[in-house]
Amino acid sequence: MNFFEALVVGLAEARRHWGQTVLSLLGLILGTGSIVTVLALFGGQTKQTTDFIIEQGGFGAIIVYDREESLQPTPLELASRRLTYRDAAYLKDHATMLKGVAPGYFGRHDYRVGDVDFEGDVIGSTPDYAQINAIFPMAGRYISDLDVRRQARVMVLGWAYADSLFKGRPEQAIGRIVNLGGKNFTVVGVMEREEFYWAPWSGNSLAYRNRRSYIPITTAFSQYTGENDRLDFLTLKAITPTGGPAAEAQVRQMMLMMHGVEDFDIQPLGQRNPDDAQFFMMFNIIFLIVGIVSLFAGGIVIANILLASVVERVREFGTRMALGASAFQVFAQVIAQVTVISVLGGLLGLGLGTALTGAVAYFMQQPAAVTGTMAAVALCTSLGVGAVAGFYPAWRAARLSPVEALRYG
Amino acid sequence: MALLQARGITKVYRLGRVDVPALRGVDLDVEQGEYMAIMGPSGSGKSTLMHILGCLDSATDGSYHLGGTDVGTLRGRALARVRNQKVGFVFQTFNLMPRLTVEENVALPLQYRGGHTRRERRTRARALLDRLGMSHRTGHRPEELSGGERQRVAIARALVGEPAILLVDEPTGNLDSKAGAEVLATFREVHAAGDTIVLVTHDQNVANEADRIVHIADGRVAA
Repeated sequence: MNFFEALVVGLAEARRHWGQTVLSLLGLILGTGSIVTVLALFGGQTKQTTDFIIEQGGFGAIIVYDREESLQPTPLELASRRLTYRDAAYLKDHATMLKGVAPGYFGRHDYRVGDVDFEGDVIGSTPDYAQINAIFPMAGRYISDLDVRRQARVMVLGWAYADSLFKGRPEQAIGRIVNLGGKNFTVVGVMEREEFYWAPWSGNSLAYRNRRSYIPITTAFSQYTGENDRLDFLTLKAITPTGGPAAEAQVRQMMLMMHGVEDFDIQPLGQRNPDDAQFFMMFNIIFLIVGIVSLFAGGIVIANILLASVVERVREFGTRMALGASAFQVFAQVIAQVTVISVLGGLLGLGLGTALTGAVAYFMQQPAAVTGTMAAVALCTSLGVGAVAGFYPAWRAARLSPVEALRYG
Repeated sequence: MALLQARGITKVYRLGRVDVPALRGVDLDVEQGEYMAIMGPSGSGKSTLMHILGCLDSATDGSYHLGGTDVGTLRGRALARVRNQKVGFVFQTFNLMPRLTVEENVALPLQYRGGHTRRERRTRARALLDRLGMSHRTGHRPEELSGGERQRVAIARALVGEPAILLVDEPTGNLDSKAGAEVLATFREVHAAGDTIVLVTHDQNVANEADRIVHIADGRVAA
């Protein structure tokens, strides 16, 4: 049996029942269209997340916090000194899975320059911090090892603070004095403006990085904590971008050894705002449900049309069998017919999906694009639904007894 | 051995709990090049016999050899192959494919057989249509043809695979007398060219065309 002839018959059948054909096509088109859109949007979001993580320092960046104390702490918990500078020093010397260790102090203090005065964040850290977080000075320099060793009273301003303290001229901050919590600091650098937008409406997700200043961790201890070496956080970087989990395991083991109890939390850096993520997940799920329901409905309609068409052509199948068509050849003919509809539905659905993706990408300002893989997945889905829907009618046709089929009607 | 040799053919249909015998032991020989008619009233079993001879159905019991092959034991795909290679069917209602052209209809058995290129199938279909005086209709659809023309296309289709035997079922039943006479003339020509024909009819005038008439009654060959 010539497959091409079967396709021609399939097309003719599709035309003869055009009303039902349009219905089943509609199901397939909506179905594949929705699935293409979900894939494209999902692909766009995955790229966004990757970009966001890279913007924040890349894969393999890790942050360690003190875990909140239990309501009824055990003696081991009470004995632990919690996260300290010593932990950082130990990890720097012994953790083979890490290439960067930055102990961190976090505080809120009064910033004052002339008549500008506000309260804001201060980060105390070491040169590693800038590397781990992929932040760079726009003017001047970042904290140096020498600053750390000397407990120097120097600061590096985040872009927004430099901008407000020096009235729209952040570059003029270098060399000036800023009063921070009653103590004078010399500004040695101003950081670049950090920005990342998930969507135009969602605002700058990295804005918090512009609203802070950086001072040497040792200076933070001597000036604000009274020589107490407790840390507020510890930022780490694995030796390779994919080495995050291995590094986390090593750090957990070492810190457990030092603390005697797991009174800390270890997390990868750069996770997306969960509310945003949830919103997009909901969006994807809606499209996916529409897609699956449409494909399901389309499949049922196709199965119905084919069954009707098989019943209508029982005598024709009988004749074909008398001429020597095997059961398999009859089966293949019906499958070829459903293939015509499936390919057509898949292609049109791909078109719809591409248009829908374009519209969503335009109105929601999301990066999303239909790739070759997605197109292939969509076509295969459509063909798959067609094959499943066509199987029973085709089997019915193939199972006909030639004698009864010839006598029929 | 005769070209077609049937021995003790029985066919029993089971309707619910009742066994209904349609054939009760038919012996039949058809020689190469013979033109034979099978006659009988409706319900005599002649259609059942034709289905078994045409390998559309298999006998409940008995042996059946066609062209030296024991086809009585074959089922499914093997039986489809025998139908395709050894049997040419002509139906009362023509049974042409409405969406295919005359030429495509005639070439259909070769398509199921496989092993022929499109060009070969086409050439053989045209040659047969030419022989039956239908070459001016190759590109037409069946609906554009008269009844007699349709039956001649069906005969061409039955002959295209060079079968061992032509099985014909009431070939003039759906035709007026003039077209019927033309179709019968075509069978005479085909027979004259050496083909073996088994014709099933209840029409005495049609049966008289044959060399030999076999009467079937009550599922048996009547004496």
